[in-house]
Amino acid sequence: MLRVGIIGCGKIADGHVEQIRAIGRGEVVAVCDREPLMAEQLAVRLKIPGRYDDAAEMFAKERLDVVHIATPPDSHLFLAKMAFAAGCHVFMEKPFALTAAQTREILALAEQAGRKAGVNYLYNYETPGLELEELVKKGTLGEIVHLDTSYGYNLAGDYGLAVMTDPGHWVHRLPGKLFHNVLDHVLAKVIPFLGDEIDTRVLAFRRRGPTGSAIVDAMPDELRFILRSGGVTVSGNVSAHGRPVPHTLKVVGTNDSVELDYTARTLIQASRWSAPSALGRQFMAWTQAKQLAANGRRNITRFRKYEFHYFQCMRVLLDRFYDAVEGQGPDPIPPEQILRVCRVIDQIVEGVDACMAQQNGNGTAKEVAA
Amino acid sequence: MKILVTGAGGFLGKQIARSLLMQGQNDLRLHFRNKAPAGFIESLLKEFPQAQIETAAANLLARGSFDAMLQGVDCVIHAAAGMKGAAADMFANTVMGSRNVFEACGKTGIQRITLISSFAVYKTDGMKPGDTLGEDTPIEPVGVDKGPYGYAKTRQEHMFMEFAAQYGFETVILRPGVIYGPGGGALSPRVGLKAMGLFASLGNGALLPLTYVENCADAVARAAVHAPSGSAFAVTDDNIPTCRQYLDGYLKNVQKMRVVTLPFGLFLWVSKKLVAYNKASKGQMPAVFTPYVVKSMYTPIRYSNDGLKKIGWTQRVPTAEGLSRTYAWLKAQPPR
Repeated sequence: MLRVGIIGCGKIADGHVEQIRAIGRGEVVAVCDREPLMAEQLAVRLKIPGRYDDAAEMFAKERLDVVHIATPPDSHLFLAKMAFAAGCHVFMEKPFALTAAQTREILALAEQAGRKAGVNYLYNYETPGLELEELVKKGTLGEIVHLDTSYGYNLAGDYGLAVMTDPGHWVHRLPGKLFHNVLDHVLAKVIPFLGDEIDTRVLAFRRRGPTGSAIVDAMPDELRFILRSGGVTVSGNVSAHGRPVPHTLKVVGTNDSVELDYTARTLIQASRWSAPSALGRQFMAWTQAKQLAANGRRNITRFRKYEFHYFQCMRVLLDRFYDAVEGQGPDPIPPEQILRVCRVIDQIVEGVDACMAQQNGNGTAKEVAA
Repeated sequence: MKILVTGAGGFLGKQIARSLLMQGQNDLRLHFRNKAPAGFIESLLKEFPQAQIETAAANLLARGSFDAMLQGVDCVIHAAAGMKGAAADMFANTVMGSRNVFEACGKTGIQRITLISSFAVYKTDGMKPGDTLGEDTPIEPVGVDKGPYGYAKTRQEHMFMEFAAQYGFETVILRPGVIYGPGGGALSPRVGLKAMGLFASLGNGALLPLTYVENCADAVARAAVHAPSGSAFAVTDDNIPTCRQYLDGYLKNVQKMRVVTLPFGLFLWVSKKLVAYNKASKGQMPAVFTPYVVKSMYTPIRYSNDGLKKIGWTQRVPTAEGLSRTYAWLKAQPPR
């Protein structure tokens, strides 16, 4: 069993510990948080023997094989350096780093140390994401032409309220503020279809009214972007106001197109008008309904097999990451993809900054050359 | 005497301020995370023109950043707490925030602190039907088996006593049952849960330890000033209904629902199955109701508020009136 440590004992740490235990590849032997009370609560609630408020001490005493870093991203480079120096593999919570430059540095350190650097781009491993992977591998969709990625968040939810009511929240320190913390989810799914040269156009604005806090009000809440890499384009929507909160991806290929709903865990092929005349159009809705029913049946089967956990996707990703750590498989998220995601985040953040600087409540488009 | 109330913008906090003023405490400093609710201070001053009310905005998670808020304060009523969110968030908002408050109070030399705790801290799993819960009932040693909220509140209380031992301030603790009233929640988990278009009635014939928000605030204000140091109080009203009676009133006065009744024995059996399923499925369904939680929360016990009466607390709003006001307010709310 691999000896695993967790740094950062906020709410996502629960998910890491539970999924490490679920795959049975490692034992969480210690947790660490700069705030001793947070380390205490995670250790007590999840019955973990070691607890630290100093990462260096944890590395020195626990002989860890793998460390999961679940702290805010401004600490990732510092902690990764320490982890690689201690001979650990690193599984990083997103955002991987504050900037692409920091990402390059972390990935280079991993390579020098001969250790793995993974990242929690979990939604690539949701069941519709895995089905998409298979369809692409088989060539069912043909060449990819366009992807439309949509992600939402609720500013009235627990996390949203924490961000909205606390100007000191770490999200406000991120270069791209709230978007910076969710763009990985939006981009990680589409980046595998893009090359290294990516053109970006960005529109960002604040739709909600002012709160009176300059820091909170500086945070935009609606983002649209377009990416182009060669013959492939991506349109992106990150929204705080759209309901129901979206988490979808549409993939348009030269042979076929599919729509993925990550919340419902469904993948539906686009309807095709194959029978002639008005009568032929009658069949399309029923064909779609049949596909949805098949998705529902598959979800029930997964539930019965205990494969329908909220973090099932993280479980699959971690299993593959631990395969890579033990030399039994490739990196589930290759380093070049991590870097590409971070580069596009930098570009979008630059566009968001330009938009917010230019506007007083109205959106402005900004083109950022790759 | 200048009294600081933390979390004064909350459901209970707002009423604590009013109760203090009603009981003749005219020198208040009210803490809000950002700012006071619109019109709140104005309404207090209109009702109590003699009052001296100061306001202070502070993020209690920012350790060491609010010493100024404590300057000149004689007594603190710490009502701010994290009531929802993930386990880690609830712990941070309740325990870390409280650590920062107690530490700052200790360093500033505050003489007396009143903590608003919760019924959730009581160790009740071993109580038998008909037993009485009161201020002598012991509290959980750790509380982790009571779920995230119970754990956070238990840790908060133990920490409170650790800081009191370190700094020597006087302590008073109030542990309210289910605080209700206009502006509060509708159906406590003690009554039951809504799921898939049905309402599962869980508490049934067990007494619902209600305390109307104004009565609870009166108890806090009374104890904060008059209770002996080291005392702790269970806060419930008199003539409280059973969970089923509360639910029937809700169904009649607020909203119709299809109700499925889960008797205690069956509920206990279901909780054992839930724990087994949670383990087998590696957490696919959370074990929200464990046998420990079911025994602790749903055993039909009695509640005593004798301790409060000994320090002169009386119930200002009769339970029937409190229920009537609450149902009327809930009925007037837009459907969710």
